[in-house]
Amino acid sequence: MPKLRTSAALWLSVLALIVLVLPLAVPSHFAIDIFIRVLLFAFIGVAWNLMGGYAKQLSLGHAAYFGLGAYTSTILLIRFGVSPWIGMLAGGVVAMLASLPIGAVCFRLRGPYFAIATIATAQVLMLLFLKFRDFAWGAEGTTMPNLGNSPLMMQFDAKAAYYYIALVMLAIGLAITYRIERSRMGYYLVAVGEDEDAAEAIGVNALRIKRNTYLISAFLTALAGTFYVQYIYFIDPNTVFGFNISVEVALVSIVGGIGTLWGPVVGTVLLEATSALLQSWLGSSHGGVQLTVYSLILIAVILWRPSGLLGVLTDAYARVVHAGPVRAREASLDG
Amino acid sequence: MLATVAQAVVNGLLIGGIYALVSIGVTLIFGVVKVVNFAQGEFVMIGMYISYFLATRFGIDPLASLVVTMPTLFVVGVLLQQFLIRRVLALGDMPQIFLTFALSLLLLNVMLLLFTADYRTVQTPYTETAIHLGAVYVPVAKLIAFVVAMLLSLALWLFLRGTDLGKAMRAAAQNRDVAMLMGINPDRVFCVAVGVALALAGAAGSLLMPFYPAYPMVGQVFVLMAFVAVVLGTLGNVTGALIASLMMGVAESLGIQFVGADSGLIVVFLMLLLTLAFRPSGLFGGWTR
Repeated sequence: MPKLRTSAALWLSVLALIVLVLPLAVPSHFAIDIFIRVLLFAFIGVAWNLMGGYAKQLSLGHAAYFGLGAYTSTILLIRFGVSPWIGMLAGGVVAMLASLPIGAVCFRLRGPYFAIATIATAQVLMLLFLKFRDFAWGAEGTTMPNLGNSPLMMQFDAKAAYYYIALVMLAIGLAITYRIERSRMGYYLVAVGEDEDAAEAIGVNALRIKRNTYLISAFLTALAGTFYVQYIYFIDPNTVFGFNISVEVALVSIVGGIGTLWGPVVGTVLLEATSALLQSWLGSSHGGVQLTVYSLILIAVILWRPSGLLGVLTDAYARVVHAGPVRAREASLDG
Repeated sequence: MLATVAQAVVNGLLIGGIYALVSIGVTLIFGVVKVVNFAQGEFVMIGMYISYFLATRFGIDPLASLVVTMPTLFVVGVLLQQFLIRRVLALGDMPQIFLTFALSLLLLNVMLLLFTADYRTVQTPYTETAIHLGAVYVPVAKLIAFVVAMLLSLALWLFLRGTDLGKAMRAAAQNRDVAMLMGINPDRVFCVAVGVALALAGAAGSLLMPFYPAYPMVGQVFVLMAFVAVVLGTLGNVTGALIASLMMGVAESLGIQFVGADSGLIVVFLMLLLTLAFRPSGLFGGWTR
């Protein structure tokens, strides 16, 4: 067993090294752009997964927090000249505050009811921001002021800088998940996810556990919102509160494997890689191709591997490690 | 002022009839099969496209195409239940929601690929005509849609009350295990439930076509409304869904009239959130889940 742990640590450091030098080794802007998207969506997926994966509270409204984070930092930046670094944290706090009443309503509901209620909250926020023309630019949205290369204002000439920020965010998200997974709270969460009534019966305060997790999840998702609008230099309600954001973050976790540390990362890499390949083959003119393929992958995963693709990878890895070199070679020849 | 309110109420009731067809479908599938069909709106969309092509290629009136869309979508529903939903019934909420959700994404985006996002409309002799009742203006196409929607709802109600198959469906909805002990074949009942629900969605599509444009995203409008109606009317309760749909049509229409053109949905969603906060089991029933 210790042998497996050292090999896991070895693989992890190799992975870390590759990820660290990736933007230096790959000069293509297109490629780095995809890497940034992968890191960002993996990060939001990780944040979603705390709620949706471990506690099995299927939120289809995480765009609410993404959008609140994005709008808080943007309003602070444009109206008050506050650095997005501070705005990012402020956005996180706003999202946490918003998650309290939203959670108070939605946590009384289970399964499909909960999912529908979360869709409604994100939609209400989007409609409100579409309506607030004076306060938040309405449907037209606004572009970020271009301040040149000013790291203090979260604006960089080099795309690699955004890459490393997203990488740090993902690392933080994974570290938090890792900590929670191994804490009392993590076990409570899984218990609530398995059977809420049974968890309550043995003394878990399900409502408090869900609320606390939702706070963390909302905070992290809001950070991603700020980062995203700083990266694309544009904000409007349809982009940041859009249903697509809510869908994608849930999708990557489910495809990768909900309730697992690395599931959202595996799912994002797979889906974004597929989407990038499609884009380079077909050009970006074919509206609908990407989501068509995403949904086919999702249906296939649900029908054949409902626990997610991470399991497929770890099974294969375990087979290779335990089978020894000769049989491992056979296994790899088999396919 | 009174005339404005009356006009808004009439507009709301008329479109509420269409919401009712969609939400009755959702609530029927949930009641019997215990799965929330997130793709219900996409079947409305498919019904619209079928009617659109029958109208433009063969000159068939969208209302006449009901006899095509309803049976077609019934068959689609049976296949959907048999080959997709049945396989995830034992898996719990999450895979079920995501299966129907993925199906919704798939249908929407395939249609986007095939037919682009263009709006497609059908002109019928009655598209522009209207009846004037005092100061209130009643578009004929919407009135026909409403009347047919109510007749179909009534037919479904009679079917559930009066026929053996309908009674079997209600029995399976109440308690699957006991229903099986009574000799009811759940597979067959589930197939019929999903088939009927999709046939209603298809009917909604045909009824909409004379006055509403078809485009790949159109289902989203109706499915969101249907979800709200289904929750307000208590998931699984057909009569509740019907009444809630009409109420929501009116609420949306009053919202548009008195708060602003983009506020209809806000009013409806706030209704949903308030209901969930104070009466999470809906307005019409005592049971949750």
